[in-house]
Order: sequence, then C-alpha cells, then structure tokens
Amino acid sequence: MLKYSIRRLLGMIPMLILISVVVFSLAKLMPGDSLSGEIDPNNTNPEYIAEMREKLGYNDPLPVQYWNWITGFVQGDFGKSTKYKRPAFDVIMEKVPNTLFLGIMSLIITYILAFMMGMYSGRKPYTIGDNAIAGINYVMLAIPSFVAAVFAIYFFAFNLNWFPFGGSVDILVETGSAEYYLSRLHHVLLPALVLGAMSTASYTQFLRNDIIENSRKDFVRTARAKGTPMKKIYNVHILRNSIIPLVTFLGFDFAALIGGAIITETIFTYPGIGMLFLDSVTNRDYPTLMALTMLLSFLTLAGNLIADLLYGIVDPRIRLE
Amino acid sequence: MKKNKSLLWLFALILVLSAFLAACGGDDNGSSSDDSEKKEETETETESTAEGEPQTGGTLVYGIDAPPEGLFSSAFYGIATDAEVIALFDEPLIDYNENLEPVPNVASWETEDNKVFTFTFEEGVKWHNGEELTVNDWVFALETIADPDYDGPRYSNVQTIEGAEAFRNGEADTISGIEVVSDYEIKITFDEARVNNLTNLWAYPLPEAAMGDIPVAEMSASEFVITNPIGIGPFKVDKIVQGESVEFSKFEDYWNGDVNLDKIVLRVIDNSSVVGALQNNDVDMISLQPVSGPEVEPLENVEITTYPGLSYYYVGFKLGKFDSESQTITEENPKYQDKQLRQAMMYALNRQEWVDAFFFGYANVVNAPVPSSHWNAADNSELNTYEYDPEKAKTLLDEAGYVDQNGDGFREDPNGDEFVVKFSHYATGNPTFEARAQAITQYWEEVGLKTELEMVEVNLYYDMVEKDDPSIETFFGGWGTGADPDPSGLWKADQLWNYPRYNNPEADKLLDDALDIEIVGTDQDKRTDLYIEWQKIVNEEVPMLYIAELEEIVALNNRVGGVEYDVSGQNNPAEWFVTE
Repeated sequence: MLKYSIRRLLGMIPMLILISVVVFSLAKLMPGDSLSGEIDPNNTNPEYIAEMREKLGYNDPLPVQYWNWITGFVQGDFGKSTKYKRPAFDVIMEKVPNTLFLGIMSLIITYILAFMMGMYSGRKPYTIGDNAIAGINYVMLAIPSFVAAVFAIYFFAFNLNWFPFGGSVDILVETGSAEYYLSRLHHVLLPALVLGAMSTASYTQFLRNDIIENSRKDFVRTARAKGTPMKKIYNVHILRNSIIPLVTFLGFDFAALIGGAIITETIFTYPGIGMLFLDSVTNRDYPTLMALTMLLSFLTLAGNLIADLLYGIVDPRIRLE
Repeated sequence: MKKNKSLLWLFALILVLSAFLAACGGDDNGSSSDDSEKKEETETETESTAEGEPQTGGTLVYGIDAPPEGLFSSAFYGIATDAEVIALFDEPLIDYNENLEPVPNVASWETEDNKVFTFTFEEGVKWHNGEELTVNDWVFALETIADPDYDGPRYSNVQTIEGAEAFRNGEADTISGIEVVSDYEIKITFDEARVNNLTNLWAYPLPEAAMGDIPVAEMSASEFVITNPIGIGPFKVDKIVQGESVEFSKFEDYWNGDVNLDKIVLRVIDNSSVVGALQNNDVDMISLQPVSGPEVEPLENVEITTYPGLSYYYVGFKLGKFDSESQTITEENPKYQDKQLRQAMMYALNRQEWVDAFFFGYANVVNAPVPSSHWNAADNSELNTYEYDPEKAKTLLDEAGYVDQNGDGFREDPNGDEFVVKFSHYATGNPTFEARAQAITQYWEEVGLKTELEMVEVNLYYDMVEKDDPSIETFFGGWGTGADPDPSGLWKADQLWNYPRYNNPEADKLLDDALDIEIVGTDQDKRTDLYIEWQKIVNEEVPMLYIAELEEIVALNNRVGGVEYDVSGQNNPAEWFVTE
C-alpha cells in the first residue's frame, strides 16, 4: 500500500504542472487585470495604474510571467495578493478554519440525515415512506442554495431568532473563551444546515439502492436462514457492504470541504474560501487565484487517493498493489 | 423499541424541513404585522429620547453591505468600504465643510501665494497607542507615499510638493519642499502656485513611532494596517474579525471633545439580510442601495436619511481615438460628430421616468457633468435642461438629415445608409442592468433610431472603453468626483479618462484658466464663472448624455441620535449617541 501511495503521489506532479499551465493561461486570458477595476478618479490616476502594471510584470510576455510565478510557487512563495496587498498564503490560511468548520459541520449533517433516510428507504423500498423521502430529497436538491439561504435567514434568524443571521462569530465575546467557541458553533449551524440538508439526495439514494441490492444477495439469505435477527443483518452485514460506494464520494468531499460554498458564504457573510475564490476571480487577483486553484487541485487528487486507500480498509477484499 | 425511536426522529426531521418549506411560501404577512405592532410601542418612546440631549454610553451597530479588504490605513486603502471603516477611527488634518471647502481640523494653515503653506498643529493630539501627534508623523506619511517601494495609489497627492520627484527617484534623502519648523509647525512648499494645491495635498498622518521601523514595501501587510490599525479618531480599534466585523471602543484621550458612545460594532451584512436586520434592530445604521429603499421606508423603527452624492451617470459617445503614448486624441470617429444628432438623442430620453424606475427616486436628473452640490455647479436655469421631448428630437433628426428613406420605420443617415446606434452597457450579476440599458434603447427607437444593445462583462467593458475598442460607440458609465470639483482629469483632451475623447480646445482653455492662479488668483467667484462657462459648452455640445446624480441613502434606527450628513459625508462619530 505504501508503494502504491508513493506511485500515486508521484503521478500527481505532471498532472499538477499541467493544471497550473491551463489555469494560468485561462486566468490571463480573462479580459482586464487586477487594476482595471480601480478606475476611480477619487482614488487613483492613470499614471499610478500604468506604473503598477509595470511593477507587477503584467507587460511581460506570458511565458515569462508564468515562469516567474511557477519558480516562486515551487519555492513556497505564492506571491502577494494584488487585492489584499498581503501574501496570498496568509490570506488563504485566514479563511481556511472558517471554511473547514462549515464544511465539516455540513458534512456531518448530510451524513446523519442521509444515513437515516437511506437506511429507512433501503429497508422499506417502494413504500410511501420511501417515496416521500425520495421526493423531499429531490426537491431539496432542486432548490437553489441562495433561495434556501435567504428563507432560512428570514425564518430561523429574523422570525424565530434561533440563530444569528450572519457572520462567523460574535465579535464582543473574548477570543478563546468557552463562550467564543459556543458562539462560533451557534453561527455555523444555520449555514451548515442549509448546505447539509440540501445535498442529501445523492448519499441517500446511493445508500438506498445498495441496501436493496445487497439485501437480495446470498449472504443475507444465509444469515436469515441461520436465524440472525433482521436488525443485525441490516445494520451490520448489509450496511458495511453498502458504505463502499459512499467512500467514493468522500474523496470528492475532501476537496469540497476546503473549496467552500460561494453563495451560502456570501449570504451569511461567513468569510471563507468560497467567497475568497470568487473574489479573486472577479478582481483578477492572480496570486490568490492560482494558489487556491493549485490547493484545490491538489486536494481533489489527494482526496481520490485517500478514497482509494479507504476502499481497502472498508472492504478487505479490495487489495491495492 | 429502538427502531421506533429512530423512526420518530426521522419524521420529526421531515416535519421540521417541511415546516421550513411552508414558511417559504405562506404566512409571512401574519407574523410580520405582529412584529411591527410590538415595535410601534417601543418606537414612540425612543423617538422622543433620540431627538433630545445626547446620552453617553451604549453600543452602536454600524453595518456595511460589502466586506472590506482589510487595508485599514489612510495611506494604503484602495476601496471605499475600507475608507468607511477608517473614518470611524482616524481623521484627516484638514476637513471639508458642507460646501466642500477645506476647513482646519487638527491643522490650520496660512499662505500668501498658494505656493508656500505654513501649517500649525493642535497640541496634545494623541495617537491610539499613546504617542503624541507631531508634524513629524505627517512628514513620515508624505515620505512613505513618495517612497519608490510604496504600493498604494496616493502618490499624485504628494507629487506636487517641491522635491517629491527627486526623493522618489532616489536623488534626495528628504523631500526638499518640507520644512519642519517645530513639533507643531511645518512649512510645505509646492513646485508651483496652484489654486487647488491644498485640496490635492495628502492630509493624513501615519504613526511614525509605531510604523517607522517597517520597510515601506512591507507596510501594507504589517499589523498596523491589517490587525491593529492606529489612528487619532474618537474610537480605537479593539478587534478585527477579517471580512466580517470590527469592534471599536471609545478613545479616552480623544483631542476634540467628548465621545458619547462606549463602543461601535461594525458588521458586514449581506444585501439580502439588510431589511430584516434593520427591522429586528440588529443594526443601527447602514447605507442602503436604492433598491432597498422602498422596503425600508415602511419600517417604523427605522428612519431614512438622504444626502447628496458626488457621482453621476452618463451615456458617452466615442468621438475619437486616444493615443496614450503621445497623450493626444489622434483620430475622429465620424459617426456621432453631428451635434444635432447627439442633442436629439438627449431629448429622446425620458430621464426622470428612467431614474424613478431604476433608482426608486433616490437620484436626480443632471444636465452637466458636475454634481449639483459642488460650489462650481451651474444652476439649471443657466443650462439647457433637455426636457423629455420626442417631437423635438424628431425635428432635430429631420433637420440633421437623419430621415427614413426606405420606409422600414427607422431613420437612415444623411447619406441614405442604414444607421444603427450601438449602445454598450456593462454586465455584472445585477439583473437590473440589462433592463435599464434596454429602456434607453427603447427611448431611441421611439424617435426612429435603430438601436442595438450589447451587454459586456464589466472588466472587459472598461478595458474596451479605455482602449477605444471600435465596437464601443455609445456607452453607459459613471464617475465619482471627490472634494476637488475640478473636472480636468476626466475632460481635457490629453486625459486617458476622457472616455468620449471630447476634443474642444476652447473648453480645455476654460478649465486651464480656472486653475491658473495668474488669472483667477484666490477668487473663488472668478473660478465659478469659468466653470459655469465650461458647463454651458459641454451642456450644449453633449459629448455625453448626462443622466443622473445619485443620492446617498442611510437607514438609521430610531434609537440613534446625533448623526448628521452633508455632501462631505457623516459628522464626527464622537457626536453620535444611542438611547437604550
């Protein structure tokens, strides 16, 4: 397994280089640059903009710009964000905890809901309950997240006052105190619920179908013949087999956790990677944009590797060599 | 038993989720009327107190609708949102009154010739870190901005000081035009006498004791800009949560009078939540987008205040091509050279109707490119107001030779060739932009001008406008003007940002004269006359169709008092108070 992992990791390098070339060219092909949004006679003047273009190297040929960027990048210098005037790495790292927290919370919510609904549906397929769950799941999947977010804020935050309507923490509580962590949890719940509850469909349906399929298999019949209680058959024998396809999702989830949720983050003013990413695209903040893309590409590749390794753990029949 | 329990759980969950869905559709009327009744009771009490004597103590929640970039230093910030945050904890040496004329704040000045200025600082002004403000902090700010490593946009505000150029090129260790007389007195010499030397000068100090050791190139990423900014204002920054909130507390050693509030909490609130947050008393004051105005007006716990803004919208014509090397307009585009055509297109627009529809009444029609609150703005009585008059537009087009020759319902150009007006508007995520652009094209089609609309992604749009891309013919745009009302930077023929490429030496001469100290001296009336003369020309020639100037809209909770606005912005936050 170690050999396999190393081989896969080495295989990522050419892939990442290719991704960096493609993303860099695409970023530079976008019209305008980080200074074209700054046309404001109160604040700047054409001379400053021309000078900054020269300073930032935007007038160099593209291959030169790419070379300058990539040599810095491999040495760990991700460049300075043109928008925030700070190292892109710092800007990203500042948002990572928020995003991770929101991502993990919403994933937990998704998993809990999906497991409950999927297990129920799988045990009682084609009943009213099963159809109702499928119906709700697809409706949830179809509702755009901004609509859900706005209504969730209206209902839970403004009408019921259960949750704060935005932000990641109450600034008035002391950082590091128990109250602070409670406040963070309180702030993250509503966006996490919106994100988590809306995306249960694929997990639920995968789990359901797998449970149905496995329940017809020979080992189930054998277990039943031996007198094993149905509950044990479903919760142990079938479930363990049915989790395998979900592990594939986990690989993608890994990158999605960091990738953040652009719209939900914006509406809840929850400063995270999603907002930063969108921002870096609209402002042509190339260093941040490139650092984020590379980070997310790497995580997607790494996530897939982890998923592959997990297969072997969940199902010992699958051997990696 | 256990099985049943999990089933119960499931159904409870489904119920919750469906209740949430039902809430989306249904009974919001019932619940919100309950709410407003409750508020009415409290509101009657608070209004009487908020109008009365200032009270001390309390926390005010100040909302902004876009996240700041986090460059909280006067010398380094780049966007207006950051400036809004800075205004709460820092203040300039020189302020502006309601006529946008400079008035002394920390510093007062004397000059005889508009070339050499002597500034005298108040004594005992303290920075938030306890150091005393002296003229050296200002020198430090000016030298930072003039440093070749400085990465902010303010150099043009220092450039006019004698010797700044040499300092920047590394030929001198200090700026020769700056002479420190004492800790509280400084003499600044400009490279030449100008009428607007003072308004152009950079008038914010930087804390030298705190920031002096940081290399200029690293300053914008330093803690004194990002996490722990220091100012001289009535509130000091206690804590910053990047991208979402800032906590300010009263600065006990504030130099200019008492501070009423104990704390200000600044929060970023997304536009979709602004109305709800106002209604629930979750935010005390926030600037509104025009589109939120009609929703906020009916709220009884909130009052809307408007004050004149300093920006205007226009539809420009591309009249030529600009060469940025030689800084001249090199070519003329023939298509829109006919003045009567441009005037007809102006008469065809029902600007009032358009403004009411897309800015909900929070904007006023303008007839010249100077916002009406500037002291040099021409009165409408001196200008052609181009009242909506489609008949007049048609007559003008007929006179100019734009008539329908082939009977297709649209006019041809004087040579009989097909004539299509191409109108470009920028596109962002905002869905109203296309509607408002479409409305303009319809006005023109009504007088028989065939119009084609193109929506262009905003970054590409300004790139194309700036580079005189041939596909841009008429274009929508907006400008904000600052305290200095001089329009030279946006209008003279040698300026990159003169997007219509309007080239009229007579008009340029007026603008030059208005800044020439030999001609106008220090007499503001003389300058005003010249500017009005200039506005008459551009009003007559319409190189761009002036559409509207926006109003700034602020929503204030009834418990807030002491807040005043004029065209220069808000009053000193030290005077704000809240009633509990």
